Amino acid sequence: MSAHPAEDGGRRIPRDLHPLAWWAWALALGTAASRTTNPLLLLLVLGVLGFVVTARRTEAPWARGFPYYLWLALAVVAIRVLFRCVFATGVTPEDHVLLTLPRIPTPAWYAGIEIGGPVSLEAVLSSAVDGLRLACLMCCIGAANTLANPKRALRVLPGALYELGVAVTVSLSVAPQLVASAQRVRRARRLRAGSGKGVRALRGIVVPVLSDALDRSLHLAAAMDSRGYGRSGTATKASRRATGALLLGGMAGLCAGLYGLLDGTAPALLGLPALAAGSALCVAGLALGGRRVRRTTYRPDPWRLPEWGVAGCGLTAAVLLCVSVGYDATALNPSLYPLSWPALPVVPAVALLLAGAAGVLAPPPGRPPAAGPSPRAADDRELSEVSQ
Amino acid sequence: MTARFSRPARLGAAAGTVLAVALGGLAPTPAHAGALPIEQCTTSQNVVLAVDFSRWGGPLLRSCGTVPTTGYQLLNQGGWKTTGTQHDGPGFICRIGYSGHQGGKQYPPPEQEKCVLTPPATAYWSYWHADPGRNTWSYSQLGAMSYKPVPGSVDLWIFGETDIDGTRGGPTFAPDTVRALNSTPGGSGSTSGGSTGGSGTGGGTGGGGGSKGDTAPNTPKSTNTQPGNGSSSPAEQPSEQPSEQPSESPSPSDTPSPSPSTSARDATAAPSTGSSAAPVAVNAAPAADAPRRSSGSIGPAVAGVALVAALGAATAVVAVRRRRASAE
Repeated sequence: MSAHPAEDGGRRIPRDLHPLAWWAWALALGTAASRTTNPLLLLLVLGVLGFVVTARRTEAPWARGFPYYLWLALAVVAIRVLFRCVFATGVTPEDHVLLTLPRIPTPAWYAGIEIGGPVSLEAVLSSAVDGLRLACLMCCIGAANTLANPKRALRVLPGALYELGVAVTVSLSVAPQLVASAQRVRRARRLRAGSGKGVRALRGIVVPVLSDALDRSLHLAAAMDSRGYGRSGTATKASRRATGALLLGGMAGLCAGLYGLLDGTAPALLGLPALAAGSALCVAGLALGGRRVRRTTYRPDPWRLPEWGVAGCGLTAAVLLCVSVGYDATALNPSLYPLSWPALPVVPAVALLLAGAAGVLAPPPGRPPAAGPSPRAADDRELSEVSQ
Repeated sequence: MTARFSRPARLGAAAGTVLAVALGGLAPTPAHAGALPIEQCTTSQNVVLAVDFSRWGGPLLRSCGTVPTTGYQLLNQGGWKTTGTQHDGPGFICRIGYSGHQGGKQYPPPEQEKCVLTPPATAYWSYWHADPGRNTWSYSQLGAMSYKPVPGSVDLWIFGETDIDGTRGGPTFAPDTVRALNSTPGGSGSTSGGSTGGSGTGGGTGGGGGSKGDTAPNTPKSTNTQPGNGSSSPAEQPSEQPSEQPSESPSPSDTPSPSPSTSARDATAAPSTGSSAAPVAVNAAPAADAPRRSSGSIGPAVAGVALVAALGAATAVVAVRRRRASAE
């Protein structure tokens, strides 16, 4: 498996995969991970994520974030275990007690919650597995953020949300810009032997960085204005209002519908009917809004065989873990009371490895842009990404 | 690199040892048995435990435990066994099984409830108490591990839906139908159970298990097919018929009498309990615990870890190649 990417790195043309393909793959893998509490399968999910991210991430600034997601995942597990230990959930005579924390007495009206007390191995392990599952979900989202270019992902927004997409794209580029200009200011300070530390040095850095950010945003606004951004097109006031009302109503319907679906005690009318009505309203609003906006796309992202392959192998894994055919469904949720070694069901393990094939199916990532672009060139590139 | 990984590696090894010791060695301390046959149940030292399996076509089982005890311990002795959830630990009762009923199978089965997260309020084991002298149920304000039942009370577990205060979804039968009323232990006056083998909805289910419950030494004076005015038990408890059981009101609650008898009237005999027939109370004698599940084989775990390690090695190779390629 490891030999392949390097081999066909020479033959296949490097290009960026369609961002939606990465998002579909990652969300499907997250769905698969949410189905199980088997630590072996969860570790396998993490391994697959690590492999694919390592093999197929670009050199862009947002593509270096995966280690931070891993640290965040570790923190999630640690917090989960800590809370389970402090807020004792009781031990049974069969449990293996690891240590006993001092018990803090609680008043009688608060007796439902115990603080401190014996901590069993079973409790620690089950909370660790519980945290690991959440950590896997977060790492799936992190992998999608790492692998997919967020600006190109915004291009696939429907036309009605075009202005929103432009705003989000501009705001997404703020953080990398701030980092770059902070580095530039620090370098300039060092060249002038400005070695101050503490609050004074901070002021010396913050003020130029902020003024730099303001300058750049003014530049960007002027450039966008001269290229015709922000025109509302031929839309009348009434049609814009109708679009807004439809979208707002649709969103409210979607929220109510999701709530009704997830909360079993909600009235039945709040579930699927509200969801369907909300979706219909949203589609109508988007269609109405999209009719007045005509945008052409500059260099659209293609959806070819590798995209089908990546999205397909992720979805296959999710489906195989959801339908539980060909294996014992209880193996997905092994019990820790009494302690027992987890089983490794074959079909889910193979399904997760299949999802890992995305690291081979996707084409190698595109070359990083030439180092050290001039500010003007950066503005132009930004604009070419904003324009759709 | 090695220095960075040595600490996690050591930690991992330590965790592995702890696990291995826990799974292999360390015999857990056995639970002390405090269960009694139902005919020895007294109001002064004992607590009646009742569990309603009617959701799955089973009986209303009842057994007897000695105090002091907790609700959890009462439910984990004499053949009873519970399972908690992964999220909340063993203190949240997610599954209940009795070794004399369906071979100790725990309900709800895994295909109905995975017991990973806290079950919804629409389908869970709700916990009810009836203190001595009261013929109404009260929804437990404490968890099974925190609650300590008083002598002469009844602990009931029913499966279904309640609201958050327990004002809805309560039991459909009165506590006195399962209460033990002996003032002295022993068979001086047998508690009349509604059990009687083979009758009703669930008495005869469970193969060998059901019979174990039924062959408890005191064959009860069968009252189960009689209409509510329990002919065989003239000395019925002066139950001030609770409001939630209008079906029983025609039955004459007879003279208050110290005579140690009664209880566990067959609730199905009551003519009008709505759609869901009230369950038959079956005595569950103290039984041997269901066999512990083995801790399984370490093989799959080793295979899984090896798989993850292989994936990690592949990742490392890819990372090294990429670094080399970008350095060129």
